[in-house]
Amino acid sequence: MKPDARSFRIALVADAYVNPPPDGLDAVAVAAETGWGVMQLPADDYPPEVAEPLLAEVAEQMEEFARHGYGFVLVGERAGLPEALAHVGVPLPDQISPRTSSQLADFLDGQPAPRAGWDTGQTAS
Amino acid sequence: MGVAFVAHCLLNQNSKVGDGAHCAGVYSPVIDVLREKGWRIEQMPCPELAFTGLNRFWAVKEQLDTVAYRRHCERLAEAVAGAIGARVKQGEDVVLVGVEGSPSMGVTITSSDPMRGGRPEWPEGTAEHVSGEGLFVEEIRKALARRGIGFPRVAGETHAIPGHDEAVQRAGLESALEG
Repeated sequence: MKPDARSFRIALVADAYVNPPPDGLDAVAVAAETGWGVMQLPADDYPPEVAEPLLAEVAEQMEEFARHGYGFVLVGERAGLPEALAHVGVPLPDQISPRTSSQLADFLDGQPAPRAGWDTGQTAS
Repeated sequence: MGVAFVAHCLLNQNSKVGDGAHCAGVYSPVIDVLREKGWRIEQMPCPELAFTGLNRFWAVKEQLDTVAYRRHCERLAEAVAGAIGARVKQGEDVVLVGVEGSPSMGVTITSSDPMRGGRPEWPEGTAEHVSGEGLFVEEIRKALARRGIGFPRVAGETHAIPGHDEAVQRAGLESALEG
């Protein structure tokens, strides 16, 4: 497989940090600056019949990333996420509910290097 | 202003097929515009990631257009449609931001080649063969076990294996048949 620009790092991000209120923290902007991908969690105002299938898909995709050694963290919280991840055998990652951009950037920058990488071999058992 | 349902990879280039990521994570050229215009962002699932995985090949529409993949996409689409429906019910304006040229996420341009298929080009000596069962066989094994049924004997066609010998293949099959 030819290398590309991916970072092998993904932040699961609560909707309130993807679509922040005025003066709220824009985690997408911080992720862009620090080289992390974003996997958005369903908005809190969705009813269960909408949110649960979306959470299930997030979890299935997260399992694929986790199995291949991609690094991931959780920004914010989402009801039902622990159960959805547990259903596919993925533990909750390190979590933060940041108040400032610098707090989030420091958290992301401080994460260990993922097992996956073009120089380390992308696949993991 | 309204809600933009965006292709998964626009927020997460890690989901791209190998050699396909344009940047580390967030594809800012699209996201920045949505931000500037005040649109809410909602990310859709990546259908290829969840179905064919991170190590998938580049593919054209015809290669993915199977009943199984359609069913998979239908399941995902039901989830996305539920979200879009909720926003529409709230009176929101909704847009869908896809990926042109993608066999799955193109909105006006997709990829097509009815003749694409077969063995991809690999460097000589690639060691892709390892001991073990394929995914489907593993799942058959689990399914039988759940029902208390023993796993049957097996034999394999070996044409793709280096050193393939038709006589050996035949002997293996006969052995399995004879038990």
